[in-house]
Amino acid sequence: MLRDLTLEVSGLVVLTGANGTGKSTLLKIAAGVLKPTSGRVVRPASVGYVPERFPSDVKMSASSYLAHMGRIRGAAVGDVLERLGFVGSLTAPMSQLSKGNAQKVALAQAFLATGVLVLDEPWTGLDPAAAAELSSLLQGRTALVSDHEGHLAGATRVDLAGGHVTIELSRVVGLDALEALEGVRSVLSRGSSARVVVAPDRSDHVLAEALRLGCSVRSVR
Amino acid sequence: MISLVRYLAADVLRGQRYLAPLLVFLGVMGMLFSTDAGQPLEAYSGSAALLYPIAAWTAVVVATSEDVVRREITVVSAGGRSQVLTAAALVAVSFALVMALVAAVWPVVTNPHPYTFGEFLVGLGAHAVCALLGVGVGLMFARPVFDSIGRTVLAVFSVVVLTYPLGRATPLGWVLDALGHNQVSLSVLWAGVIGIALVSCAVVVGVRRA
Repeated sequence: MLRDLTLEVSGLVVLTGANGTGKSTLLKIAAGVLKPTSGRVVRPASVGYVPERFPSDVKMSASSYLAHMGRIRGAAVGDVLERLGFVGSLTAPMSQLSKGNAQKVALAQAFLATGVLVLDEPWTGLDPAAAAELSSLLQGRTALVSDHEGHLAGATRVDLAGGHVTIELSRVVGLDALEALEGVRSVLSRGSSARVVVAPDRSDHVLAEALRLGCSVRSVR
Repeated sequence: MISLVRYLAADVLRGQRYLAPLLVFLGVMGMLFSTDAGQPLEAYSGSAALLYPIAAWTAVVVATSEDVVRREITVVSAGGRSQVLTAAALVAVSFALVMALVAAVWPVVTNPHPYTFGEFLVGLGAHAVCALLGVGVGLMFARPVFDSIGRTVLAVFSVVVLTYPLGRATPLGWVLDALGHNQVSLSVLWAGVIGIALVSCAVVVGVRRA
Protein backbone atom coordinates (compact mmCIF):
# COMPACT_ATOMS: atom_id res chain seq x y z
CA MET A 1 0.00 0.00 0.00
CA LEU A 2 1.37 3.42 -0.99
CA ARG A 3 -0.32 6.61 0.09
CA ASP A 4 -0.13 10.34 -0.55
CA LEU A 5 2.32 10.04 -3.41
CA THR A 6 2.67 12.46 -6.29
CA LEU A 7 5.38 11.69 -8.80
CA GLU A 8 6.07 13.45 -12.08
CA VAL A 9 8.55 11.58 -14.22
CA SER A 10 10.72 13.80 -16.35
CA GLY A 11 14.14 12.60 -17.41
CA LEU A 12 15.56 9.84 -15.23
CA VAL A 13 13.87 9.18 -11.92
CA VAL A 14 15.27 6.51 -9.62
CA LEU A 15 13.14 4.88 -6.93
CA THR A 16 14.94 3.73 -3.83
CA GLY A 17 13.77 2.24 -0.58
CA ALA A 18 14.04 -0.86 1.53
CA ASN A 19 12.45 -4.15 0.50
CA GLY A 20 8.71 -4.06 0.87
CA THR A 21 8.34 -0.30 0.59
CA GLY A 22 6.32 -0.60 -2.61
CA LYS A 23 8.80 0.14 -5.40
CA SER A 24 7.70 -2.73 -7.63
CA THR A 25 4.04 -2.02 -6.92
CA LEU A 26 4.50 1.63 -7.85
CA LEU A 27 6.33 0.65 -11.05
CA LYS A 28 3.52 -1.76 -12.00
CA ILE A 29 0.98 1.00 -11.45
CA ALA A 30 3.09 3.42 -13.49
CA ALA A 31 3.42 0.91 -16.34
CA GLY A 32 -0.30 0.09 -16.36
CA VAL A 33 -0.01 -3.47 -15.07
CA LEU A 34 -1.90 -2.65 -11.87
CA LYS A 35 -4.68 -0.16 -11.28
CA PRO A 36 -4.27 2.23 -8.36
CA THR A 37 -6.99 1.84 -5.72
CA SER A 38 -7.31 5.61 -5.80
CA GLY A 39 -5.66 8.49 -7.61
CA ARG A 40 -4.70 8.58 -11.24
CA VAL A 41 -1.82 7.88 -13.56
CA VAL A 42 -1.18 9.85 -16.73
CA ARG A 43 1.17 8.06 -19.06
CA PRO A 44 2.12 8.23 -22.75
CA ALA A 45 0.72 5.68 -25.20
CA SER A 46 4.02 3.87 -25.57
CA VAL A 47 5.48 2.53 -22.33
CA GLY A 48 8.36 0.06 -22.05
CA TYR A 49 8.36 -2.20 -19.02
CA VAL A 50 10.89 -4.58 -17.52
CA PRO A 51 9.65 -6.59 -14.53
CA GLU A 52 11.79 -7.48 -11.54
CA ARG A 53 12.30 -11.04 -12.75
CA PHE A 54 11.99 -12.00 -16.40
CA PRO A 55 10.63 -15.56 -16.65
CA SER A 56 13.18 -18.28 -17.28
CA ASP A 57 10.97 -20.92 -18.93
CA VAL A 58 10.00 -19.20 -22.19
CA LYS A 59 9.92 -21.61 -25.14
CA MET A 60 9.98 -18.89 -27.79
CA SER A 61 13.35 -17.78 -29.16
CA ALA A 62 14.72 -14.31 -28.42
CA SER A 63 14.58 -13.24 -32.08
CA SER A 64 11.02 -14.46 -32.47
CA TYR A 65 9.94 -12.82 -29.21
CA LEU A 66 11.47 -9.47 -30.11
CA ALA A 67 10.04 -9.62 -33.64
CA HIS A 68 6.56 -10.24 -32.21
CA MET A 69 6.95 -7.44 -29.66
CA GLY A 70 8.15 -5.13 -32.43
CA ARG A 71 5.10 -5.94 -34.57
CA ILE A 72 2.76 -5.42 -31.61
CA ARG A 73 4.28 -1.99 -31.03
CA GLY A 74 4.72 -1.21 -34.72
CA ALA A 75 8.42 -0.61 -34.09
CA ALA A 76 11.59 -1.97 -35.65
CA VAL A 77 13.85 -4.05 -33.42
CA GLY A 78 16.89 -1.90 -32.76
CA ASP A 79 20.44 -2.69 -31.76
CA VAL A 80 19.91 -2.73 -28.00
CA LEU A 81 20.73 -6.43 -27.73
CA GLU A 82 24.03 -5.96 -29.55
CA ARG A 83 24.92 -2.89 -27.50
CA LEU A 84 24.27 -4.79 -24.29
CA GLY A 85 26.61 -7.52 -25.48
CA PHE A 86 24.13 -10.37 -25.95
CA VAL A 87 26.14 -13.51 -26.66
CA GLY A 88 23.57 -16.35 -26.55
CA SER A 89 21.70 -17.96 -29.41
CA LEU A 90 18.96 -15.76 -30.82
CA THR A 91 17.14 -18.75 -32.28
CA ALA A 92 17.25 -21.10 -29.28
CA PRO A 93 14.39 -21.10 -26.76
CA MET A 94 14.85 -18.32 -24.24
CA SER A 95 14.67 -20.93 -21.48
CA GLN A 96 18.21 -21.89 -22.52
CA LEU A 97 19.58 -18.37 -22.04
CA SER A 98 21.62 -17.33 -19.03
CA LYS A 99 19.95 -14.98 -16.55
CA GLY A 100 21.96 -12.03 -17.86
CA ASN A 101 21.15 -12.68 -21.50
CA ALA A 102 17.44 -13.18 -20.72
CA GLN A 103 17.55 -9.82 -18.93
CA LYS A 104 19.06 -8.26 -22.06
CA VAL A 105 16.13 -9.59 -24.11
CA ALA A 106 13.72 -8.13 -21.55
CA LEU A 107 15.50 -4.78 -21.84
CA ALA A 108 15.53 -4.93 -25.65
CA GLN A 109 11.75 -5.37 -25.76
CA ALA A 110 11.29 -2.43 -23.38
CA PHE A 111 13.48 -0.18 -25.51
CA LEU A 112 11.07 -0.76 -28.43
CA ALA A 113 8.84 1.76 -26.67
CA THR A 114 9.18 5.36 -27.76
CA GLY A 115 7.71 6.82 -24.57
CA VAL A 116 8.57 6.39 -20.93
CA LEU A 117 10.52 3.37 -19.67
CA VAL A 118 9.49 1.69 -16.44
CA LEU A 119 12.28 -0.59 -15.27
CA ASP A 120 12.29 -2.68 -12.10
CA GLU A 121 15.90 -3.30 -11.06
CA PRO A 122 17.03 -3.53 -14.70
CA TRP A 123 20.69 -4.14 -13.85
CA THR A 124 19.90 -7.51 -12.28
CA GLY A 125 22.10 -10.22 -13.80
CA LEU A 126 24.02 -7.89 -16.12
CA ASP A 127 27.80 -7.99 -16.28
CA PRO A 128 29.66 -4.70 -15.58
CA ALA A 129 30.04 -3.81 -19.27
CA ALA A 130 26.36 -4.39 -20.00
CA ALA A 131 25.38 -2.52 -16.84
CA ALA A 132 27.44 0.48 -17.92
CA GLU A 133 25.97 0.30 -21.43
CA LEU A 134 22.45 0.22 -20.00
CA SER A 135 23.18 3.34 -17.96
CA SER A 136 24.43 4.93 -21.18
CA LEU A 137 21.32 3.82 -23.13
CA LEU A 138 19.09 5.43 -20.51
CA GLN A 139 20.70 8.86 -20.90
CA GLY A 140 18.31 11.16 -22.71
CA ARG A 141 15.31 8.91 -22.09
CA THR A 142 12.41 9.45 -19.75
CA ALA A 143 12.48 6.56 -17.31
CA LEU A 144 11.26 5.50 -13.89
CA VAL A 145 13.75 3.00 -12.52
CA SER A 146 14.20 1.16 -9.25
CA ASP A 147 17.82 0.88 -8.29
CA HIS A 148 19.54 -0.26 -5.12
CA GLU A 149 23.09 0.21 -6.30
CA GLY A 150 23.37 3.77 -7.58
CA HIS A 151 23.93 3.01 -11.26
CA LEU A 152 22.43 6.28 -12.44
CA ALA A 153 24.47 9.17 -11.13
CA GLY A 154 22.76 12.50 -11.56
CA ALA A 155 19.23 11.08 -11.80
CA THR A 156 16.44 12.41 -9.63
CA ARG A 157 16.13 10.09 -6.64
CA VAL A 158 12.90 9.37 -4.82
CA ASP A 159 13.18 7.42 -1.57
CA LEU A 160 9.83 5.76 -1.02
CA ALA A 161 10.51 5.16 2.65
CA GLY A 162 12.93 7.97 3.29
CA GLY A 163 13.05 8.53 7.01
CA HIS A 164 10.87 5.65 8.09
CA VAL A 165 10.26 3.19 10.87
CA THR A 166 9.72 -0.47 10.02
CA ILE A 167 7.50 -2.40 12.39
CA GLU A 168 7.57 -6.20 12.05
CA LEU A 169 4.39 -7.78 13.37
CA SER A 170 3.41 -11.36 14.05
CA ARG A 171 -0.05 -12.66 14.91
CA VAL A 172 -1.50 -9.79 12.88
CA VAL A 173 -5.01 -8.73 13.78
CA GLY A 174 -6.95 -5.91 12.13
CA LEU A 175 -4.63 -5.30 9.18
CA ASP A 176 -7.26 -3.15 7.44
CA ALA A 177 -7.43 -0.85 10.45
CA LEU A 178 -3.63 -0.56 10.51
CA GLU A 179 -3.47 0.21 6.78
CA ALA A 180 -5.93 3.05 7.24
CA LEU A 181 -3.87 4.78 9.94
CA GLU A 182 -2.28 8.10 9.14
CA GLY A 183 1.46 7.83 8.51
CA VAL A 184 1.39 4.22 7.27
CA ARG A 185 3.35 4.18 4.01
CA SER A 186 3.26 0.52 3.09
CA VAL A 187 2.07 -2.80 4.44
CA LEU A 188 3.53 -6.09 3.29
CA SER A 189 1.47 -9.00 4.59
CA ARG A 190 2.75 -12.61 4.65
CA GLY A 191 0.40 -15.09 6.23
CA SER A 192 -0.01 -14.16 9.88
CA SER A 193 2.91 -11.70 9.90
CA ALA A 194 3.31 -8.27 8.34
CA ARG A 195 5.87 -5.52 7.78
CA VAL A 196 4.50 -2.02 8.26
CA VAL A 197 6.54 0.99 7.10
CA VAL A 198 5.55 4.15 8.94
CA ALA A 199 6.52 7.82 8.94
CA PRO A 200 8.76 8.46 11.98
CA ASP A 201 6.42 11.01 13.56
CA ARG A 202 3.51 8.54 13.50
CA SER A 203 5.34 5.37 14.52
CA ASP A 204 4.42 5.60 18.22
CA HIS A 205 0.77 5.99 17.37
CA VAL A 206 0.80 3.08 14.87
CA LEU A 207 2.70 0.88 17.32
CA ALA A 208 0.21 1.64 20.09
CA GLU A 209 -2.67 0.91 17.77
CA ALA A 210 -1.13 -2.40 16.66
CA LEU A 211 -0.73 -3.47 20.29
CA ARG A 212 -4.26 -2.32 21.11
CA LEU A 213 -5.58 -4.47 18.22
CA GLY A 214 -3.81 -7.49 19.68
CA CYS A 215 -0.85 -7.82 17.28
CA SER A 216 2.48 -9.11 18.55
CA VAL A 217 5.40 -6.79 17.76
CA ARG A 218 8.50 -8.68 16.66
CA SER A 219 10.78 -5.70 16.03
CA VAL A 220 10.85 -1.94 15.49
CA ARG A 221 13.73 -0.34 13.63
CA MET B 1 -4.69 -6.76 -32.82
CA ILE B 2 -3.57 -9.11 -35.63
CA SER B 3 0.05 -9.00 -34.45
CA LEU B 4 -1.07 -9.65 -30.90
CA VAL B 5 -3.17 -12.64 -32.02
CA ARG B 6 -0.21 -13.94 -34.02
CA TYR B 7 2.11 -13.62 -31.03
CA LEU B 8 -0.25 -15.37 -28.61
CA ALA B 9 -0.99 -18.14 -31.14
CA ALA B 10 2.74 -18.65 -31.76
CA ASP B 11 3.34 -18.79 -28.02
CA VAL B 12 0.64 -21.44 -27.56
CA LEU B 13 2.03 -23.54 -30.41
CA ARG B 14 5.58 -23.22 -29.02
CA GLY B 15 4.42 -24.25 -25.56
CA GLN B 16 2.94 -27.53 -26.82
CA ARG B 17 0.43 -27.69 -23.95
CA TYR B 18 -2.28 -27.64 -26.62
CA LEU B 19 -1.20 -31.15 -27.63
CA ALA B 20 -2.95 -32.84 -24.69
CA PRO B 21 -6.50 -31.65 -25.52
CA LEU B 22 -5.83 -32.05 -29.25
CA LEU B 23 -4.69 -35.67 -28.90
CA VAL B 24 -7.62 -36.52 -26.62
CA PHE B 25 -9.94 -34.92 -29.17
CA LEU B 26 -8.44 -36.83 -32.10
CA GLY B 27 -8.32 -40.10 -30.16
CA VAL B 28 -11.95 -39.96 -29.05
CA MET B 29 -13.03 -38.84 -32.54
CA GLY B 30 -11.29 -41.92 -33.90
CA MET B 31 -13.20 -44.13 -31.45
CA LEU B 32 -16.55 -42.41 -32.10
CA PHE B 33 -16.35 -42.93 -35.84
CA SER B 34 -14.56 -46.27 -35.98
CA THR B 35 -17.92 -47.94 -36.71
CA ASP B 36 -21.30 -46.86 -38.11
CA ALA B 37 -22.13 -43.74 -36.05
CA GLY B 38 -25.74 -43.51 -37.24
CA GLN B 39 -27.73 -40.94 -39.19
CA PRO B 40 -25.78 -37.81 -40.26
CA LEU B 41 -26.96 -35.29 -37.64
CA GLU B 42 -27.28 -37.93 -34.93
CA ALA B 43 -23.67 -38.94 -35.56
CA TYR B 44 -22.63 -35.33 -35.01
CA SER B 45 -24.08 -35.25 -31.47
CA GLY B 46 -21.24 -37.35 -30.02
CA SER B 47 -18.47 -35.21 -31.49
CA ALA B 48 -20.31 -31.99 -30.56
CA ALA B 49 -20.60 -33.21 -26.95
CA LEU B 50 -16.87 -34.02 -27.03
CA LEU B 51 -15.86 -30.65 -28.46
CA TYR B 52 -17.39 -28.71 -25.56
CA PRO B 53 -14.92 -29.85 -22.84
CA ILE B 54 -12.04 -29.98 -25.32
CA ALA B 55 -12.65 -26.35 -26.31
CA ALA B 56 -12.83 -25.37 -22.62
CA TRP B 57 -9.51 -27.16 -21.99
CA THR B 58 -7.89 -25.50 -25.00
CA ALA B 59 -9.15 -22.09 -23.87
CA VAL B 60 -7.50 -22.61 -20.47
CA VAL B 61 -4.27 -23.57 -22.26
CA VAL B 62 -4.43 -20.39 -24.37
CA ALA B 63 -5.30 -18.16 -21.40
CA THR B 64 -2.44 -19.49 -19.28
CA SER B 65 0.19 -19.97 -21.99
CA GLU B 66 2.09 -16.87 -20.91
CA ASP B 67 3.14 -16.84 -17.26
CA VAL B 68 2.01 -13.90 -15.13
CA VAL B 69 5.19 -11.83 -15.56
CA ARG B 70 5.37 -12.21 -19.34
CA ARG B 71 1.66 -11.38 -19.53
CA GLU B 72 2.45 -8.12 -17.69
CA ILE B 73 4.98 -7.22 -20.39
CA THR B 74 2.50 -8.09 -23.14
CA VAL B 75 -0.20 -5.96 -21.47
CA VAL B 76 2.14 -2.96 -21.36
CA SER B 77 3.36 -3.54 -24.93
CA ALA B 78 -0.17 -3.91 -26.30
CA GLY B 79 -1.38 -0.86 -24.42
CA GLY B 80 -3.90 -2.53 -22.13
CA ARG B 81 -5.29 -5.71 -20.67
CA SER B 82 -8.49 -5.59 -22.71
CA GLN B 83 -6.51 -5.85 -25.96
CA VAL B 84 -4.56 -8.86 -24.70
CA LEU B 85 -7.59 -10.69 -23.32
CA THR B 86 -9.54 -10.01 -26.50
CA ALA B 87 -6.66 -11.38 -28.56
CA ALA B 88 -6.41 -14.45 -26.30
CA ALA B 89 -10.15 -15.03 -26.75
CA LEU B 90 -9.74 -14.77 -30.53
CA VAL B 91 -6.90 -17.31 -30.44
CA ALA B 92 -8.94 -19.71 -28.30
CA VAL B 93 -11.98 -19.34 -30.56
CA SER B 94 -9.83 -19.85 -33.68
CA PHE B 95 -8.31 -23.08 -32.29
CA ALA B 96 -11.77 -24.30 -31.26
CA LEU B 97 -13.26 -23.49 -34.66
CA VAL B 98 -10.51 -25.42 -36.41
CA MET B 99 -11.39 -28.42 -34.25
CA ALA B 100 -15.09 -27.82 -35.03
CA LEU B 101 -14.25 -27.97 -38.74
CA VAL B 102 -12.30 -31.21 -38.27
CA ALA B 103 -15.19 -32.68 -36.27
CA ALA B 104 -17.69 -31.70 -38.98
CA VAL B 105 -15.61 -33.10 -41.83
CA TRP B 106 -14.53 -36.35 -40.08
CA PRO B 107 -17.87 -38.26 -40.30
CA VAL B 108 -18.43 -37.02 -43.86
CA VAL B 109 -15.32 -39.03 -44.74
CA THR B 110 -15.71 -42.00 -42.39
CA ASN B 111 -19.45 -42.47 -41.70
CA PRO B 112 -21.12 -44.87 -44.19
CA HIS B 113 -24.24 -42.66 -44.30
CA PRO B 114 -24.09 -40.03 -47.06
CA TYR B 115 -24.07 -36.37 -46.00
CA THR B 116 -25.79 -33.56 -47.90
CA PHE B 117 -24.06 -30.17 -47.97
CA GLY B 118 -26.87 -28.79 -45.83
CA GLU B 119 -26.33 -31.47 -43.17
CA PHE B 120 -22.63 -30.71 -43.19
CA LEU B 121 -23.33 -27.01 -42.64
CA VAL B 122 -25.73 -27.76 -39.79
CA GLY B 123 -23.12 -30.03 -38.23
CA LEU B 124 -20.42 -27.41 -38.66
CA GLY B 125 -22.63 -24.76 -37.09
CA ALA B 126 -23.55 -27.04 -34.17
CA HIS B 127 -19.90 -27.86 -33.52
CA ALA B 128 -18.96 -24.19 -33.74
CA VAL B 129 -21.63 -23.40 -31.14
CA CYS B 130 -20.38 -26.14 -28.78
CA ALA B 131 -16.83 -24.87 -29.30
CA LEU B 132 -17.87 -21.31 -28.42
CA LEU B 133 -19.66 -22.50 -25.29
CA GLY B 134 -16.57 -24.45 -24.26
CA VAL B 135 -14.25 -21.50 -24.88
CA GLY B 136 -16.57 -19.29 -22.87
CA VAL B 137 -16.50 -21.67 -19.90
CA GLY B 138 -12.72 -22.09 -20.14
CA LEU B 139 -11.99 -18.35 -20.27
CA MET B 140 -14.51 -17.56 -17.57
CA PHE B 141 -12.52 -19.51 -15.00
CA ALA B 142 -8.97 -19.11 -16.30
CA ARG B 143 -6.42 -16.43 -15.41
CA PRO B 144 -6.95 -13.55 -14.73
CA VAL B 145 -10.41 -14.42 -13.37
CA PHE B 146 -8.98 -17.27 -11.27
CA ASP B 147 -5.28 -16.90 -10.46
CA SER B 148 -4.68 -20.50 -9.44
CA ILE B 149 -4.57 -23.22 -12.12
CA GLY B 150 -5.93 -25.68 -9.53
CA ARG B 151 -9.06 -23.62 -8.99
CA THR B 152 -9.38 -23.12 -12.75
CA VAL B 153 -9.27 -26.85 -13.45
CA LEU B 154 -11.71 -27.61 -10.64
CA ALA B 155 -14.18 -24.93 -11.75
CA VAL B 156 -14.06 -25.82 -15.46
CA PHE B 157 -14.32 -29.54 -14.72
CA SER B 158 -17.28 -28.98 -12.39
CA VAL B 159 -19.17 -26.81 -14.87
CA VAL B 160 -18.48 -29.18 -17.76
CA VAL B 161 -19.54 -32.25 -15.76
CA LEU B 162 -22.68 -30.52 -14.48
CA THR B 163 -23.67 -29.35 -17.97
CA TYR B 164 -24.47 -32.82 -19.35
CA PRO B 165 -27.03 -34.03 -16.76
CA LEU B 166 -28.82 -30.67 -16.95
CA GLY B 167 -29.78 -31.59 -20.50
CA ARG B 168 -32.06 -29.12 -22.22
CA ALA B 169 -31.69 -26.65 -19.37
CA THR B 170 -28.39 -25.54 -20.92
CA PRO B 171 -27.51 -24.16 -24.38
CA LEU B 172 -25.31 -27.24 -24.94
CA GLY B 173 -28.36 -29.39 -24.28
CA TRP B 174 -30.34 -27.52 -26.95
CA VAL B 175 -27.67 -28.31 -29.53
CA LEU B 176 -27.21 -31.95 -28.54
CA ASP B 177 -30.97 -32.50 -28.34
CA ALA B 178 -31.49 -31.12 -31.84
CA LEU B 179 -28.68 -33.26 -33.28
CA GLY B 180 -29.83 -36.36 -31.33
CA HIS B 181 -33.27 -36.06 -32.85
CA ASN B 182 -31.74 -35.64 -36.31
CA GLN B 183 -33.37 -32.26 -36.77
CA VAL B 184 -32.42 -28.62 -37.29
CA SER B 185 -33.57 -26.24 -34.58
CA LEU B 186 -33.53 -22.49 -34.08
CA SER B 187 -32.35 -23.14 -30.54
CA VAL B 188 -28.91 -23.97 -31.99
CA LEU B 189 -28.72 -20.40 -33.23
CA TRP B 190 -29.67 -19.09 -29.80
CA ALA B 191 -27.07 -21.32 -28.21
CA GLY B 192 -24.53 -19.71 -30.56
CA VAL B 193 -25.58 -16.25 -29.43
CA ILE B 194 -25.16 -17.35 -25.82
CA GLY B 195 -21.74 -18.81 -26.68
CA ILE B 196 -20.58 -15.50 -28.17
CA ALA B 197 -22.01 -13.64 -25.16
CA LEU B 198 -20.22 -16.03 -22.79
CA VAL B 199 -16.85 -15.48 -24.49
CA SER B 200 -17.38 -11.69 -24.51
CA CYS B 201 -18.46 -11.79 -20.87
CA ALA B 202 -15.35 -13.77 -19.93
CA VAL B 203 -13.16 -11.07 -21.53
CA VAL B 204 -14.99 -8.29 -19.69
CA VAL B 205 -14.81 -10.14 -16.35
CA GLY B 206 -11.11 -10.80 -16.95
CA VAL B 207 -10.40 -7.12 -17.64
CA ARG B 208 -12.31 -6.03 -14.52
CA ARG B 209 -10.77 -8.73 -12.33
CA ALA B 210 -7.19 -7.96 -13.35
